Amino acid sequence: MRSSPWRTALIGAPVLALLFVFLVLPYGEMVVMSFRTPANGAPYGDAWTLANYGRAFGDPFYLGVLLRTLGIGALITSLTLLLSYPIAMHLARVSDRWHVFFYACVVSPLLVGVLVRNFGWMIVVSFQGPLNQVLLALGLINQPLRLLFNLPIVVVALVHVFVPFMVLPITNALRNIDPSLYDASASLGAKGYETFWRVTLPLSVPGVLAGVVLVFVLAISAFVTPVLLGGQNIVMMSSIVIQQLIGVFAWPFGAALAMALSIMTIIAVSLLTLIMRPLMRRTARWS
Amino acid sequence: MKRPLRYLSGAVLALLYAFLLMPLVVVALASFSGGEVLRFPPEGFSFKWYARFFANESFLSALMLSLRLALVSAVTVSVLATMAALFYRRLPYRWREPFRILVIMPLLLPEILTAIGLLFFLYRVGLGSSAFGLQIGHIVVTLPFAFLSVAAALQQIDSSLEEASASLGAGTFETFRRIVWPLIRPGIFTGALFAFIVSFDMFTMSFLLKPIGGNTLPLAVFDYLKYDFDPMAAAAATLSVGFALLVVLLVEKTVGLRRAF
Repeated sequence: MRSSPWRTALIGAPVLALLFVFLVLPYGEMVVMSFRTPANGAPYGDAWTLANYGRAFGDPFYLGVLLRTLGIGALITSLTLLLSYPIAMHLARVSDRWHVFFYACVVSPLLVGVLVRNFGWMIVVSFQGPLNQVLLALGLINQPLRLLFNLPIVVVALVHVFVPFMVLPITNALRNIDPSLYDASASLGAKGYETFWRVTLPLSVPGVLAGVVLVFVLAISAFVTPVLLGGQNIVMMSSIVIQQLIGVFAWPFGAALAMALSIMTIIAVSLLTLIMRPLMRRTARWS
Repeated sequence: MKRPLRYLSGAVLALLYAFLLMPLVVVALASFSGGEVLRFPPEGFSFKWYARFFANESFLSALMLSLRLALVSAVTVSVLATMAALFYRRLPYRWREPFRILVIMPLLLPEILTAIGLLFFLYRVGLGSSAFGLQIGHIVVTLPFAFLSVAAALQQIDSSLEEASASLGAGTFETFRRIVWPLIRPGIFTGALFAFIVSFDMFTMSFLLKPIGGNTLPLAVFDYLKYDFDPMAAAAATLSVGFALLVVLLVEKTVGLRRAF
């Protein structure tokens, strides 16, 4: 439809203005802040320095937290993928009559706040909670276990938070596969697992990549779950950053730590995309 | 597939779905407990924790702030997202993808980074720790959800319908009102629902930008959980589960879950 370019520009202006002022400028402000000097009695000083980055990447403590955060992120992403793929395969071929029910199962956790879902896990693994009761009843343990405030429960809770983010893109990729490819594979004598390995899996790579990138970025920037379920024992980058910003009011250093996290994220995501690219190119003409 | 294998895969799937739903079910059941402590399975059945929740000043004012933020976000973002989606459709082809990425950027970037940037920026322009600043944060983060929803609805419209309308003498506004609007209304509605629920549950942004003396419901629950572990927190949390189920139901009725995600 033809309409005057001025009118078109007028429709776009509010959103562009909003995003420029309240998204682009704030990120710019974060970059600027990371080069400022600290000050007493104010969040930041007037002079400029590189010392914040020196400390963020040079201090073994902060570097250790950064690397550990990336490691935990990778672990969470792998586990999420492992649990999500079967669900996505099921969801992609579930009959029309049942699809609403199973979609609702996947989507409802997504729409419930992270805090609520973490709280659910707190109840499940609490000292007198259902998990301990089941283990006691089965005779696997003699006394209730302390399951809160350690790494496994943080990982489980985060995997739970991220499964829907992984399931949805993989399901979409699987639904786009031409069903005649399965018939072709079978008629050429491939067994079920061979078809999975050589047809289904390669063709779902774009969905897997989308899910993996999304979950990894979300996992390393998670804040509530490590704080609530990990307590003081599990220190991840986000809680350190927030502590610098809210706790000690060291805005420039907090900004530099946030920038360090962003830089590492960009590097990790680019590497992953580069590794997956040959596979994507090979299967592109089929999807 | 062979029968034992089918049973095995069925069992694995059942476990996976149980894993997804368990924390939500546990929270909801715990909130109806009749006992004094948070225990599972809950002792007895009662609404007393809901009664206590609604009698609790700090929870109630937090709920009001959360509802207000979510409502204002949903309305503002629906208008903005509809304009953005119409703009997106009229853009020359090579500008479309960059514009789409810009609009969904708040979804792709970690919420914590956007919140930190806004914290600095709002302080710089003199809006630090203000209710307005927090509202802005919620609008920025919920915008992509509404945009994706409206843009998907708009994509379904055959452009020949608009051409037909124009060739019959309808102006731009007339065509929008009589052709485009009725067709994208479900998409706008769905987008507004998503924006509402995302804002209602938003944590990190609210944590960093919260106004002085103002708490949202997730923040109030978080503070409460630091010192108490009783079913009142479960009652507060179950409100969020209830909203989510309501949204799932409404989305399924209007556009269908499969298309919405």
